Amino acid sequence: MTEITNETQFREALKGLSLSDQREVGARFVEHVASMADDERIAFATRVASNKNAAVDELAAAYKSAKAAAMDCYTRCGADADWSEQAGYFVARAASAIVVPEKDIGSDGPAWTAAMNGRMARTCAIIDNNADAESQETGQQYRILEDYLNS
Amino acid sequence: MSEATLERGLRALKEQIDTPIASFFSSCTHCGMCATACLFYTETENPAYTPINKVEPMRRVWEQEYTLIGRVKKALGLSKPVTDEELEEWKEYAYNACSLCGRCTVVCPVGNDITYMIRKMREGMAASGHAPEGLVGASTRAIQTGSPMGVKLPALQAQARHAEKDIGIEIPFDVEGAEYMMLMSSMEIMNYPEYMQAVAKIFEQAGKSWTISSEAFEATNSGIQIGSSDIARELVSRIVNAAEKLKVSTVISPECGHAYTAIRWDGPNLVGRPFPFKVRHILEVLDEFREQGLLKTEGFEEAKMTFHDPCQLVRRGGVIEQPRTLLNMVASNFVEMSDHGMMNWCCGAGGGVSANEDAEELKMKAFKRKKHQLDELNVDTLVTACANCRIQIEEGLEENEMDIPVVGLTEMLAEHLVEEKKTEG
Repeated sequence: MTEITNETQFREALKGLSLSDQREVGARFVEHVASMADDERIAFATRVASNKNAAVDELAAAYKSAKAAAMDCYTRCGADADWSEQAGYFVARAASAIVVPEKDIGSDGPAWTAAMNGRMARTCAIIDNNADAESQETGQQYRILEDYLNS
Repeated sequence: MSEATLERGLRALKEQIDTPIASFFSSCTHCGMCATACLFYTETENPAYTPINKVEPMRRVWEQEYTLIGRVKKALGLSKPVTDEELEEWKEYAYNACSLCGRCTVVCPVGNDITYMIRKMREGMAASGHAPEGLVGASTRAIQTGSPMGVKLPALQAQARHAEKDIGIEIPFDVEGAEYMMLMSSMEIMNYPEYMQAVAKIFEQAGKSWTISSEAFEATNSGIQIGSSDIARELVSRIVNAAEKLKVSTVISPECGHAYTAIRWDGPNLVGRPFPFKVRHILEVLDEFREQGLLKTEGFEEAKMTFHDPCQLVRRGGVIEQPRTLLNMVASNFVEMSDHGMMNWCCGAGGGVSANEDAEELKMKAFKRKKHQLDELNVDTLVTACANCRIQIEEGLEENEMDIPVVGLTEMLAEHLVEEKKTEG
């Protein structure tokens, strides 16, 4: 029975996963924050990332649409900050991370990148009242990963 | 601020006409070279976007007020006065169609600093109430909250907490006596929080002390963009006060072009005294670390990549070699754009253009120039060092269906840092 109780265990467990497993568990992280974006392109990315047999062109299409979703909701330089809307930007970035083409994957891997962006999204959503929602999201991500590893 | 009126605007324009401006107007030969250097002109072929035309109302004020022939013509009713309607028309030329990139200045055969002239022109535009609404909003927020995007300290602290958890390194606030004080742009805080993480990792490896001031963390200077020396001075003063209070040796401008111009080149003139600390762009600091053997990287990016020079870095600051030296530490297949360095083409969104919703369509037309440059190269990745350039390029690539990832140079270097093996205590 795998138990995740801290960041080191979380990161190591993610690193130990295959690429397709990273995409799949990353999709679950994204689904957990997807309500902050309300964008079909996010759902499309999670569906493709969850499909271990997804073709390269499917991943590419999902990546393109998730990136477009991020471009549609970033905050313009000089615009008045709307942190609730900005949460959608980070959800879209998390969705991009789980379907990123293999050649563009960074050293952290898709699942970790999705997790961090998911936490950013949660932070943005409550930033004005300064609650510690990020810690709660972190705990939720530990449970999601435990469930995935133990299933 | 007092109410913006035509009278105030004309007075501001008269006040802006100093010796350099007068000599620039006198020496302009109407050759049109500035037009061919301006991406707003080349991508639209609209003659109204010729850089020197963007200051035409100010030229008329100069002629009517400060030249003999102009005064005679004015007295005889042979020259028309500058009107509100005219300034409203010029809002498009002086703001929407100018990113203050400085390319026109570089090509002018008689050495006219046209960018300087346009900035002076904007002083009159702002004072007369003809600045774009987006820039007025950004400037108001900058004065009221410290950030043009209304990013307050709790938001920065939340992002810092996130960064600390992500990388396991403390983000230091208000450390008196730290060597470096790091400024951030709201764009980085909101859209690219990985920049802060990259800085923390690099400084940790270098063993250098740094801090963020909770009283003045914002680098962006809306006063420079809208054309208000008063606002620009106030924003610079806050940084100077914070740096003096914390007794830092160097203030670091982040990956933001105009912030660098504002604090490094305009700053001392705005506050009227030399700074008791140095100001450096983050790339200058990283290159100093490299020279001192404090920036240690491993591995190379194999992707074919190029570098987009932010205009303010190269044309105002001369920061040309540093990014290339740094890139060569981590990139094995680096190629240059056809025009690069001093003559690089702007992304199309600097100088307040990105904060100006009226310029939305035009900035994407201007981006076509960058698209041409990238089409020639067929690169896998584009690297830059300005958050505003980055978002404009990402948006432009998206609109033109070009699949090229855009990354910040500081982040790329942080990705390649040699990982120090921690010994168990």
